[in-house]
Amino acid sequence: MQISETVSTNSKPSKAARALHEAIGLVRKPLRIVPLISKIASDAVSHAMSPRHLYSYSATKVPSSDVLQSLIEWILRAQRVDGGIAAYYSFLTGYSDSYPEVTGYIIPTLYDFARMTGDAASISVAERATDWLYSLQMPSGGFPAGLHNSAAAIQPSVFNTGQILQGLVRAHLERRSSESLRRAEAAGDWLASVQSPDGAWSGTGAYQGQAHTYYSMVAWALAELAAESGRQRHAEAADKNIDWVLAHSRPSGWIEGINLQGHPSYLHFVAYVIQGVLECGILRKRNDAIEAADRAAWALLRKFETHKHLAGTYETDFKAGQKFACLTGNAQMSCVWLRLYEVTGDSRYINASLKMNELVKQLLPQSSKRELNGGVAGSYPIWGSYQPMRLISWGAKFFADALMLEQRILHELEDAAAPGVSRLEAATSEASPCAS
Amino acid sequence: MRVVVLCSSPYSETGCAMAARLAQAGRTPVGALTLPAWDRQTLLRKLGQWGLRDCYRFARSKVGPAPANRQQLRNPYLQKMLAHESGAFRNLFQVARHYGFPVTTSPDQNSHGAIDQLKRWSPYIAIFTGGNIVREAALKQCSLGILNSHLALLPDIRGMSSPEWSVLQGVPLGITIHFMDSGIDTGPILLRREFPRPPGCDSFSDLRNRMIAAAIDWMAETVAALEAGTIAPTPQASKRTNGRRDDSQYFVMHDRLKALAKRHLTKIESTTLKNAADHAGVRNG
Repeated sequence: MQISETVSTNSKPSKAARALHEAIGLVRKPLRIVPLISKIASDAVSHAMSPRHLYSYSATKVPSSDVLQSLIEWILRAQRVDGGIAAYYSFLTGYSDSYPEVTGYIIPTLYDFARMTGDAASISVAERATDWLYSLQMPSGGFPAGLHNSAAAIQPSVFNTGQILQGLVRAHLERRSSESLRRAEAAGDWLASVQSPDGAWSGTGAYQGQAHTYYSMVAWALAELAAESGRQRHAEAADKNIDWVLAHSRPSGWIEGINLQGHPSYLHFVAYVIQGVLECGILRKRNDAIEAADRAAWALLRKFETHKHLAGTYETDFKAGQKFACLTGNAQMSCVWLRLYEVTGDSRYINASLKMNELVKQLLPQSSKRELNGGVAGSYPIWGSYQPMRLISWGAKFFADALMLEQRILHELEDAAAPGVSRLEAATSEASPCAS
Repeated sequence: MRVVVLCSSPYSETGCAMAARLAQAGRTPVGALTLPAWDRQTLLRKLGQWGLRDCYRFARSKVGPAPANRQQLRNPYLQKMLAHESGAFRNLFQVARHYGFPVTTSPDQNSHGAIDQLKRWSPYIAIFTGGNIVREAALKQCSLGILNSHLALLPDIRGMSSPEWSVLQGVPLGITIHFMDSGIDTGPILLRREFPRPPGCDSFSDLRNRMIAAAIDWMAETVAALEAGTIAPTPQASKRTNGRRDDSQYFVMHDRLKALAKRHLTKIESTTLKNAADHAGVRNG
């Protein structure tokens, strides 16, 4: 998620200007007030009624496969005419422009869904999205910041390039397209070329010009590229960044250095750090990274199991901040826990994910309005401070990833015969990450 | 030996059975401290655990007209301890009247009122059968401490859904009697014994009921051993894996995993309790 970061860095509209823009959206289409009020009312009621005692967890009777289908349909509907995927659907202003970063990392999700279900529409959308991304690549190999056509889109962005890289690598794997690999390698080369000697990315191309530990997500993409390209340069860049990120680990498991000026460390970013470290650690066979991710993920698991929810923001050493739920962060943590189950064999991780998935499932809007059905809100309740009044495409992506992982692991578990069998060896050789 | 029983409700069958079992062994409690019958947290918890229908049935069996047949207990394995006249004790007040000990109701076992009552009783030990998380101030009121029976082998499986987690993790089923401290199931152990699956026990609710009955017997045995000075607490070995502290804490198990654990449960070879006791890891000091 770079929306708020890129928009605020480069064109920096004030809060008042943003509020005015949203209000104008509502004036243009006043009927949007109806689903908005309905969503506010339903969130207010469910927020007040949810039981939170030690024996409770949210439960639904909705099968994960049905929810997964609706999430993917929401993503397919969010594809714009140019082939990119919209960043969000706002209850006030409707769909946003296409968003390159999210379009990039939604591509693996669409291919995963197609593999699971044979859905041809997902492949078609993924291919159009890939072709659109081709058209955006800059001569340097990098990809632009911000929303398509925004003022920010004139400069390359490290984070966006990393997330688009995930899509290009996957497109190469699926289409066996030399163009995808060539473009991915160019992107990887650019990322390696602008990396600081210490392994971080800062300065031009980095959000607010600062180094951030959540750029471990970029390291993950580089590790994926290295596995395909076989080029040492990409592998070394991934390793260097993870070394830098791990140097920010604290005994509590917290990884310092999210380093966002002007807004808190939303769970989304905390989960990014952990997810990037974990996936990169698995690909690069680095136990230090896997153990660091395990410590951080375990700390959040204990909080979730004890309080029945995760906070929307966290401070150093997992001190809970704002109380709203950052739904995409919840979905990301579910992915992390499921992957850690695969790596460690610790069933408590899948247990927490099952509960988290139930929790998020309950909070998806059920509506006859196509733009809403299957969408994942930025915040619960909808007026929380992370992407308020919006359904966000990366929320749908991460939750779809979590549900696909859940289904795969449960099928394997239910097919397994004996109790207490160590799954570590089998899992590490067979495991494939969220959306790849 | 001055013993107090802590209960989650006057209608808690486990609490009633514990008090009755102690009295039957000649150690009538000096008192019982219970949360109110209509404690909101307990009601919510039971609704979550049992569901609406079972909660209604339970309430009817406790406060409605006495049923004609003897089968009025949710946990039938407690019948021998709760047998009374032609049926069974229906609540703690009946048990207390029969055996002659006082019952005090408090909305919180850590409240000033509850702590004052514990001071007046000045127990040597208290036995926890349910209620709030017991805080330091309440823990201090008993000369030796507060005992808890945990339905798994410590320190392997701490926390919630312990029989289910034992089965899923391939840890032998068992019961541990230990002193409570500020952690979750981390206090020193007095008795740790395996509890192999009894023949014909194919569900976790049945297994749990049987384990509770055994735990009450073993708790009475532990109290007797404490009084005789033939048992001593042993601190739990601290576990540390991958830098995680308290690595063996488990949480409420999701229904999908419970279904999986149930499939594993039926595959565990059953053994009679007598055999179990023969090779149990009993730790008597």
